Amino acid sequence: MEKSPYRRFLNAVNLPLAFATLALLVYGSIMVSSATATMGGGMFQRQLLGIAVGCVPFVFLWVVDYKTLKHWTGPLLILLAFLLISPRIPGLGYTAGGATSWLQFARIRLFQPSEPAKLLFIAVMAAIISDRKGRIDTTSDVAGVMAYLLGALVLIMMQPDLGTGLVFIVISFGMLLVGGMRKRWFLIFGLLAVVLVAVVLNFHLLRTYQEDRLLVFIDNTRDPQGAGYNLAQSKIAIGSGGIAGQGLRAGTQSNLNFLPERHTDFIFAVLGEELGFTGAVVLLGLYLALLLAALAIAASSRDLYGAIICAGVIAMWSFQILENIGMTVGMMPITGIPLPFMSFGSSAMVTNLGGVGMLMSVWARRYGT
Amino acid sequence: MSTYREQLRSRLAALGLIVVLMLLALLVRLWTMQVLAGDDYAAKAENNRVREISIEAPRGRIFDRNGVPLVTNRAALAVSVDPSDETVHQMIIHEQSADTSDDPTEQDITARFGALADLLGMSADDVWAAVNNSKLVALQPRVVALDVSVKVASYLSEHQDDFPGVSVGEIAVREYPQGASAAHVLGYAGQISDTALKAADMASGYEAGDIVGKTGAEAEYENVLQGDKGTRRIEVNAAGQPQRVVSEQAPVAGHDIKLTIDIKTQKVVESALQDALSEAHSQGYSSAHAGAAVALDVKTGEVLAMASAPTYDPSLFLNSITDKEWTKLTSKSSDYPLNNRAIMSGYAPASTFKAVTGLAGLHYKVTYAGKVYQCHGKWTDMGEQWPKWCWDHSGHGAITFIGGIRESCDVVFYNIGYEFYKRKKEELQAFAKKLGLGSKTQIDLPGEVTGRIPDAAWKKAFNKNYPEYQTWLPGDTVNMAIGQGDVLATPLQMATVYAGIANSGKVMRPHVLEAVLDSSGKVSRAYQPVVNATAPSSADDLKVMTQALMEAASTGTAAGAMKGLGVAVAGKTGTGQVAGKDDYAWYVCFAPAEDPKYAVAVLIEQGGHGGSVAGPAARQIVAQLLGLKVEQVHATDNSR
Repeated sequence: MEKSPYRRFLNAVNLPLAFATLALLVYGSIMVSSATATMGGGMFQRQLLGIAVGCVPFVFLWVVDYKTLKHWTGPLLILLAFLLISPRIPGLGYTAGGATSWLQFARIRLFQPSEPAKLLFIAVMAAIISDRKGRIDTTSDVAGVMAYLLGALVLIMMQPDLGTGLVFIVISFGMLLVGGMRKRWFLIFGLLAVVLVAVVLNFHLLRTYQEDRLLVFIDNTRDPQGAGYNLAQSKIAIGSGGIAGQGLRAGTQSNLNFLPERHTDFIFAVLGEELGFTGAVVLLGLYLALLLAALAIAASSRDLYGAIICAGVIAMWSFQILENIGMTVGMMPITGIPLPFMSFGSSAMVTNLGGVGMLMSVWARRYGT
Repeated sequence: MSTYREQLRSRLAALGLIVVLMLLALLVRLWTMQVLAGDDYAAKAENNRVREISIEAPRGRIFDRNGVPLVTNRAALAVSVDPSDETVHQMIIHEQSADTSDDPTEQDITARFGALADLLGMSADDVWAAVNNSKLVALQPRVVALDVSVKVASYLSEHQDDFPGVSVGEIAVREYPQGASAAHVLGYAGQISDTALKAADMASGYEAGDIVGKTGAEAEYENVLQGDKGTRRIEVNAAGQPQRVVSEQAPVAGHDIKLTIDIKTQKVVESALQDALSEAHSQGYSSAHAGAAVALDVKTGEVLAMASAPTYDPSLFLNSITDKEWTKLTSKSSDYPLNNRAIMSGYAPASTFKAVTGLAGLHYKVTYAGKVYQCHGKWTDMGEQWPKWCWDHSGHGAITFIGGIRESCDVVFYNIGYEFYKRKKEELQAFAKKLGLGSKTQIDLPGEVTGRIPDAAWKKAFNKNYPEYQTWLPGDTVNMAIGQGDVLATPLQMATVYAGIANSGKVMRPHVLEAVLDSSGKVSRAYQPVVNATAPSSADDLKVMTQALMEAASTGTAAGAMKGLGVAVAGKTGTGQVAGKDDYAWYVCFAPAEDPKYAVAVLIEQGGHGGSVAGPAARQIVAQLLGLKVEQVHATDNSR
């Protein structure tokens, strides 16, 4: 039975995902507009432009069958390696805040290659993990997968960029969970992580500032004095928002410049101050809707490869949400990870919309249609 | 196949659980921060954005009894150096540390302050001395130059980068329209010291850098003169730049006060004091550098003038005084010009004390006006081995009690003193204390000393480590009777005693405050006169003493000093002996003798004779007080 083009389009759209994404884009634009109200440079317009540019990978990845990606694993791997190395290539790298994590061409700053690299990594790892057909059991199974993660981490640490490294690790384990790695391996890696952290903590037995220094050593974009100040100001901003918030553009912490990086890494602090607990609940609700929609798409996937791709995107977003909001309230160490769909920045916006495109692609070719 | 689907579903469910738990954790954290602790954070945010700045309240002004301004305020352009500037801070720490090896060198000082010094027309060392001021609150900006020209101020403002830590601004400073006149009564004001700041009650609102009264009336009436600071609440951004004024509370100026001082009389008193010092020099008393004089209203205790020499310029303290200047003002070689000798130093009152001994003698019937004594120059009543001499070694011959006052005959008073000793009741001491001697007059000025009326108990306690000197001897009472030995009194105390004799025995408490004024200049609180002491003397005794003192001034020891004044004065000379020093010259009197209005005391340290040095100074003061011709007379007197 032939379906009308309209019905076919509707069939290819996951409405909960579409609505959650749209709502987050609107919400994020409002917050960027508020946070950048007193800044020059047409920040709000640039954010809208980022959304518009992000529509290209979104539509492309939606229209293209995700299964095609699997056939391109080799070239994608090479592209991934290039992106991760590119900031270190003389002439291409651009240094900002101590870390070389931008690409430039003809002195024009283009984008942060680590952002789209996340999507490439998801596609590549999904192919490798799904090849194990849902059984990752033996040491050689695990080693075969982990080799890719380790390779990527080595390249990332050349920048160095602790935040992105952590995102890659979390993505990998999210995908391994859905890809069928045995429980005992999670236990082993969990123990390994605990031991690693314990060793680090033991090494710097008493002084928290030394732990901060370790983080700064790995990720020198963060200065501990600055980080301490940022965190204190961020907590004051969020706490002072109370239940209802100070009102848009009325946050004193934000508008009097007490909040650093307020339109990028600390956009949530602006939201917390200006819209209060109410605004924060709305945001967490939208993220819940987004992630549940993504989970539903994973469950509907025609094959394991599609489900693992979804798991990768879910893990990426979840970790970034946890890490970004967590750092603004002092639950997580401060790293330069943006808040999905909310933080100002085109590279992240393009990546996140690309992620939505991949999810839509899985949904459009779901099981049982 | 179905098991694979089920496995996938359970794994996705696990992933979903992780996602939900994660969002829940964030939610709980936000709940505690925003809902439970929201108010605390709101207060922190408020504290972040709002700065409270104190607005200085103008300090109250000080006027003389006729409304002539003595201390006012003006704005001055000041150049300050911030001691918290990193380089400067290090220099101060190194200089003030015990280790002298790291002290800033001449090069360091020139490198840091040379350009500023050149601009201000000072030496780099002077700038450094002002910056490295140990008496100021640690982080208070150091004023290095006051009253700089507008040109210098604007140059500094325009070249701020070349002068790190240097700022220019207007500050309110004290102004002294009468110069150094009445400096000891007015006192000086300056930046509050670290110790005073720590001791100050929190509620008083004192802050580092506040100008407070340090001495004199400025200190005594600090709480009246000091206004209430205003506050301005300013919203600042993260860089501390002011954005807008949130609210403002205007300062309330301090109260003006009116003193009992008459500035015209004050100036005459000061010049009379200088004349007396030059007179002493011309008589060969080259060590005479210091003295004090005071003029009182006998009926109210109002201080019309009070001067102390040497004096100082209170405007030295406008710009926080440098350590060098401070050392100079507090050293022996400059005779301690900050000391108000009228109240802060006790002297042997010498023969001026004979009025006290005399009244005591009359009161206890030890003597009477016409009692005749025999003065042979040498007096041996206590035994041949303890001879005492009259100042006039040739002797006064037969001399009455009144004659004893007039001629200041020591033998008359040796007799009276010895009589008191033999009565063994310390009546002389008790009488002197009833006139207020041996205790503070409680004048409204800080730093007053008590003086001393010695008795057996005092002597025992004073010599507690020297048992052989503890016994009260006849000579002690005899010496005391002529105002020598261990008696000490301030010039102000002696003036109050003579004022009391003039005021029917009522000794008024001396005071310099006439009234506190309100903002419209009206009297809001007037000083209420207080009777300090009442002499137990009968009216007849007082009359006898007044008669005796009049004779002393007209035909006795001060005849030369008072000759041709035109008004009868009742007064007594005194020439105090101090071991190892020249004689201290005294004159204490009241006038007019028949209808007393004013009491005057003059003391010249190492000035020689009371009648020829202190007496002529007192004459000038009396003449000024009574509206007579003020002139300097030269008199001879060799009494003691």
